[in-house]
Amino acid sequence: MNTDIRSLQLLERDLEAAAERERVHLASGVEPSDGGPGGPRRLPRRGRGHAWRGIAAALAAVLVLAGGIGFLSQVRMGDDAGSAGGADAGDASAAPAPEEQLDKALDVSLTNPAPGATRQGSVAGTGGSDNGIGTAPRQQGDLTKVIRDGRIGIVIADGSFSKGVARVIQIARQNRGFVLESTSRDERSGTMTLRIPAKRFDDSMLALRALAGELDGAVEFQDISGQDVTAEFIDLGARLDILKERRDLLRELQREATSSNEILRLAGLIEDVQLQIETIQGGLRFLKDQVAEATIKVEVRERDVEREDPGPNPENPSLGDSFELAVQGFLRVVGAVVVGLGYLIPLGAVALVAWGVVRLVRRRDRAAS
Amino acid sequence: MLDERTDAELLIASRAEPEAFGELYRRHAEDVLRYLARRTLDPEAAAELTAETFAEAFASRANYRDQGVDGVAWLYGIARHRLGRFFRTGRVDAAARRKLGMPERDLPPDDYERIEDLIDFAPIRAALVEALETLGPDQREAMRLRVIDGLDYAEVAERLHCTQQSARQRVSRGLRKVALLLQERGMQLATEVEA
Repeated sequence: MNTDIRSLQLLERDLEAAAERERVHLASGVEPSDGGPGGPRRLPRRGRGHAWRGIAAALAAVLVLAGGIGFLSQVRMGDDAGSAGGADAGDASAAPAPEEQLDKALDVSLTNPAPGATRQGSVAGTGGSDNGIGTAPRQQGDLTKVIRDGRIGIVIADGSFSKGVARVIQIARQNRGFVLESTSRDERSGTMTLRIPAKRFDDSMLALRALAGELDGAVEFQDISGQDVTAEFIDLGARLDILKERRDLLRELQREATSSNEILRLAGLIEDVQLQIETIQGGLRFLKDQVAEATIKVEVRERDVEREDPGPNPENPSLGDSFELAVQGFLRVVGAVVVGLGYLIPLGAVALVAWGVVRLVRRRDRAAS
Repeated sequence: MLDERTDAELLIASRAEPEAFGELYRRHAEDVLRYLARRTLDPEAAAELTAETFAEAFASRANYRDQGVDGVAWLYGIARHRLGRFFRTGRVDAAARRKLGMPERDLPPDDYERIEDLIDFAPIRAALVEALETLGPDQREAMRLRVIDGLDYAEVAERLHCTQQSARQRVSRGLRKVALLLQERGMQLATEVEA
């Protein structure tokens, strides 16, 4: 090398030695090991791989952390909601409502179902302590519209099926409801669908649970669901108002029309609008009926009879249910991660600023020294 | 025998024939050192950065793709990257040399003057004088004698009552601090090499 700078000559020698080591490795067909005195060829790849792995690991750690934080925050919110529901029940105890008496009797504290949410509880075995009966959805003025459905399975003593059916019918009547349909098998087991005024839903469920005790039996399972249709109700109401206004306007125009063609055209339009109004009114009526009356499906069987239709088993869901559960689970995890990132991003920004300040101070100190 | 292959050809050939990298080194080592010395103003840092640049280039030559970017431009890209890290951290990393099993060497005494000769202090002399005020007294005096007054290290050492090696180190580290300071102020220490 044509230089008089000694360090460059030494560096040339060092590089030649490294090249020689690699040449030997290439000749032997052995990949040089990381950090060893040879084989640079693989090093940058490994270095780059390490870097990517590091980035991926850091990203994964951030996402896991965010998921954890999000999950914890959601659990915390759930707890808060639960305790708020408990407080509600406590306040209401000054003037006990039937549903609250029921809560106390069954040692439960369930909150109102969230809009659109379904609340379910199921019991296997005696059903003595576990249940899903909750308080009736509290009506927020007249705005809240919730469709309530219940399902209860009762096992009773052998030979008491007829008596059980009679008592179920009696319970429906006592609560100003009726039996919508019923089926029975060998007079030993059967299913009845009751329609009960929504306000009497909890009393009816309580009475049905008590029936198991009366007939020396037990509650086998119980599901309660509430579907909030308030938004749908309001939406339909708003659409109805708009359509009525349009119909009135069209009628006015029709009165002022001078030509027969125009009168006929407007009549056609009025007819279309009227049809839409009636469709919406039908929908509203249906919703009102659904809200006004709850449905309770009662399965009664004598102890020795095997259950005819076990219904959906949450322990062994169908493929469709599994897919739905998987989607829900995925969305929950994504939601938890997003919530967690909401916590982490501002913290990260603060940490970044702090790091920048520390770095600046260090640099100044270095310059000063 | 003169190797007539281009830099790009040498880099590609060196994958299977590692010794071909030596020719690339011999062609550009001094220019890279000058490039780094003029920016760091520090012979020690410049020599270390040069070693690290070539070590990294050797280690990552398999990544070089001949896509119209000349081999020497690729080499200076690595040097610029290393230089940027030096200005950010104030020190020279030796990771590439360690990976290749290359030793980290102290700068031979005579190289201080030789590398300083590569640095053109004239365009930055005024800024240098101003920056001297930020240094400690020992470094400032050593810098003034060597860089401003142009004394050789034997005279600097005599004036400061220290060894020549100590004088070299004081000047070298003083220059490094000045370079970092000027860099922080956004001052261009040398014109970019057109690679």
